[in-house]
Amino acid sequence: MTIDDSLLMAYADGELDPIAAKRVEQAMANDPALERRVADHRALRDRMARAFSPIAEEPVPDRLAALLTNTVVVLPPRRPRVSPWWPAGAVAAGLALSLGLAAPWRQSPGSADHAGGALGEALDTRLAAMDGDPRVLVSFRNQQGAYCRVFAGSARDGIACRDGEGWRLVRTTPGSHAAGTDYRQAASGDAALLNAAQAMMAGDPLDAAGEIRARQRGWR
Amino acid sequence: MGMKRPPACVSSARRDIGATLARFEDELLEILPRLRRFARSLSRDAADGDDLCQVAIEKALNARDQWQPGTRMDSWMYRITRNAWIDQGRARTRAAQTFLPEEAGVAIGDDGAHAIEARLELALVQRAMAELPDEQREAVALVLVEGLAYKEAAAVLDVPMGTLTSRLVRGRQALLARMGEAA
Repeated sequence: MTIDDSLLMAYADGELDPIAAKRVEQAMANDPALERRVADHRALRDRMARAFSPIAEEPVPDRLAALLTNTVVVLPPRRPRVSPWWPAGAVAAGLALSLGLAAPWRQSPGSADHAGGALGEALDTRLAAMDGDPRVLVSFRNQQGAYCRVFAGSARDGIACRDGEGWRLVRTTPGSHAAGTDYRQAASGDAALLNAAQAMMAGDPLDAAGEIRARQRGWR
Repeated sequence: MGMKRPPACVSSARRDIGATLARFEDELLEILPRLRRFARSLSRDAADGDDLCQVAIEKALNARDQWQPGTRMDSWMYRITRNAWIDQGRARTRAAQTFLPEEAGVAIGDDGAHAIEARLELALVQRAMAELPDEQREAVALVLVEGLAYKEAAAVLDVPMGTLTSRLVRGRQALLARMGEAA
């Protein structure tokens, strides 16, 4: 039988059945060149495995691991506003009242604007686990069912909600994060933003999969 | 003897659903280091590798309904990663491959001589890998870097065994020729 290189390779990798392996061993015994070639295949295999092994041993970057851990930002505990089994109408009425009375951060009517440029793009595309400026801290649906996203950046922080025209800026404050800082370490200024988000939120914040789905649907 | 109370079916079913969801993410987290290594071995450098890995995780999360608990998640993820890489390859124009990965030359810092050697070796191996045609590179990555059996690698790539082995042997011959010279 002829011994070609793919047979030697398969022998070196332990992929041959016992009979085929025996044939290769017999051929190798009569031909040192074949033996050297098998040694080369083994050495290459070891070298490739060794060269890449440090990557599997180093810690996984946060931005990747964060995609798989549900809460990127720990939200403040939800205030016991209404019992979940109350009729929906009463819930809505109660929320409308509490939003109207207890929302000092809300801008006066008419000054509401829509996000454009880099902010608009970030809100459209960036997931909460991703680095960037601005960074999105958390995404959720508000009581009206629209998607909202809390962002923090070097220029400004805020909450934007999706409407027919784009990302309506519901709240903005001067940026609390200098460029280059680790946004994942929530700054103290984030607490007020997150409390505001908590008050607007219906249900739980989106997890990574929920964000990806929402993004695919264009946040509609 | 009285009948035993039936188990609390509803709450245990809820727990099972919760456990399934958690298991998906936990299993994915567990294989993430290997997935990163695989993505890296397909890519040109560390940044490209992690970008590819991120795309693969997003695709997996999005397709989590298609994963069957109890089946091998690593094979499923290798396939998703590889397909994402192929998609990227079709979209991007290939830059000249005569580069030295950035991390080989910078940020050596306090690393010992051993760590520096390891980085240079990785850079050299990666450059040799980058010169292989895609179909050879993916075969080499799965078998030599990830240690998959031929049968497993053929299944990930969805090709017959004969196709896998012929790509693998051509890839190895090219690597032996190149890295033999460089050594």
